[in-house]
Amino acid sequence: MSFNGISGILNSPGEIPWEIVVLFFGAGILFTFIWGKRTGGLARFTTVDLIYIGIGAAFAVVWEFYIGAFLGKFIPSNPFFGIGYTGRLIALLIVAGLVRKVGVGMIAMFIFNLLSDLISYGFSGEPMYFLYEMLTYGLMMDLVIALAGPNLFGVKSPEKRTLAAKNKTSPRKGLEYITRMPGEYLAAFEGILIGLFWVVPEPLFYGGFISPFLYGGVVDWGKIVFDMIAFIPSAVIIGAIGGLITLRIVKAVGQ
Amino acid sequence: MNWLTVNIISWLLFFFGAAFPVLILLKAIGLTGLMKVTRYESYHSFYYKMNPAVKIMLGIIVMVVASVTIWWIGAIMTAIILASYLTLKDGKRKFITGLFLTMMTIIGTTWAFAPYTPYVILEEAFHTGSLTTLWTWPSYFTVMGYQPALTSQGIVYGFQISMRFAAVSLMSLVLVMTSTPSQVLRSLNKVGIPTSLTFSLVVAMRTIPRIFEYIDTSVKIQFMKGLGSNSPAFLRPFYMLSGAFSGIVPVIVFLVRGAKDTAISADTRAFRAYSKRTYMYPMAIGKIDKMAVSFMVLMILLTGIVVMLGFGRGIAYNG
Repeated sequence: MSFNGISGILNSPGEIPWEIVVLFFGAGILFTFIWGKRTGGLARFTTVDLIYIGIGAAFAVVWEFYIGAFLGKFIPSNPFFGIGYTGRLIALLIVAGLVRKVGVGMIAMFIFNLLSDLISYGFSGEPMYFLYEMLTYGLMMDLVIALAGPNLFGVKSPEKRTLAAKNKTSPRKGLEYITRMPGEYLAAFEGILIGLFWVVPEPLFYGGFISPFLYGGVVDWGKIVFDMIAFIPSAVIIGAIGGLITLRIVKAVGQ
Repeated sequence: MNWLTVNIISWLLFFFGAAFPVLILLKAIGLTGLMKVTRYESYHSFYYKMNPAVKIMLGIIVMVVASVTIWWIGAIMTAIILASYLTLKDGKRKFITGLFLTMMTIIGTTWAFAPYTPYVILEEAFHTGSLTTLWTWPSYFTVMGYQPALTSQGIVYGFQISMRFAAVSLMSLVLVMTSTPSQVLRSLNKVGIPTSLTFSLVVAMRTIPRIFEYIDTSVKIQFMKGLGSNSPAFLRPFYMLSGAFSGIVPVIVFLVRGAKDTAISADTRAFRAYSKRTYMYPMAIGKIDKMAVSFMVLMILLTGIVVMLGFGRGIAYNG
């Protein structure tokens, strides 16, 4: 017998030890609280930020349950490319590009999850999915935002032409190279970085713990490693495209 | 049967599972149909009078019952919930849209499981050592994760699994169709979710039908500009799909550009000016809610009895 669709199996063959998972999620929650306390938490997000997050989550849901769900049926189940991953990554990259504050990844994943539960899943398997999605996909996105600083996706980089003229007069050195990269390159680079981070949770956390914990089954580590490696090329391409779309949308919105 | 015929039929079967649900979506439901079932419209029947928190609870109970009982209980619940769509505003249209959505769920889920489920699981689920082969796929189909052959047990297994999803999906849409976003906001605030997060959620709930509406407009404009005008009529759904795809980024830009106006509107109404909000219409628990809660208790009791009678989860459902 299970509780809310959770069988609670902790000893499936090959399953990641629950202590490691508790440690990871515990550290994630602690980090979120400490970071929130230090930076002002939800109050730091303006009303317009919250609206961007809502719009992004709505797009992710429309893609996940309607448009992408049906397009995905034309593509056989494979470890190289995921139509759901594509839409969700691009929608969340756009939100991150518009808001550009640490915490946006986790909040957007929370809203996306809550909305998915309200319109389709009926809170099955919760609160596992909230923890999983916020503290893996959301946290990884926030990590890149924290590393990138305010010029996330090159939204503050000067135009390519002005930059080329500037570079002629003063040669670039060390880190300056990255900060003075044209916006498009920076957008693609950071999109790829987030795309690569997002390759990990599904095979590792979901396949290695969440799925056997909720439903049982045997964990095949060979498959987990293969799935992660096989997904990298498409993650690079989708991440780059997503970064460039984000930059275009952010510019079109007038930021 | 020769090699070519086997390949043609196999690919037709593959595309049936992929294209038929999309065809239902585009031809029978349409983007306006999706807009209808994801948008609130004011009316006076019992769902509209129910507290959103009770509707969320009802959804959870339906999900729990469907996941712990035999497939036909899920099927009965699906039929009852679908029939209750007739009580909604513009009920006939919503019933038909709900019916098509259910068909899509059934075909989509059945086809998502039938060719892929390993024989070991099917043999365990149906307590049999011999499976009935309906169609043998070309050997290279195994690269896509297909089993060597499509079996009748695989189809029944997929169908039974679809009965775990159909009722929950229909019930979840009831919440969206019969509660205003602000009612949902108040209910979620009551359970302790911060206003900032529920505000984002409400924006998202309001945005979903608008996305369908604007994509629909974008597709129509593309058709007016001549998209696929020289192509045969049977290709029209594909042009529609391609138009919808091309419309996504402009629709995002359009919606996001309006965000500042919404923010100004919320801020000038003192959104987040105080840590607690008061409401003109408090969310009360009425007679209908009490009846619904009693009904849920009854459902749980009946489920317990049904499981004890041996009608619990009947197949080795996994995933």
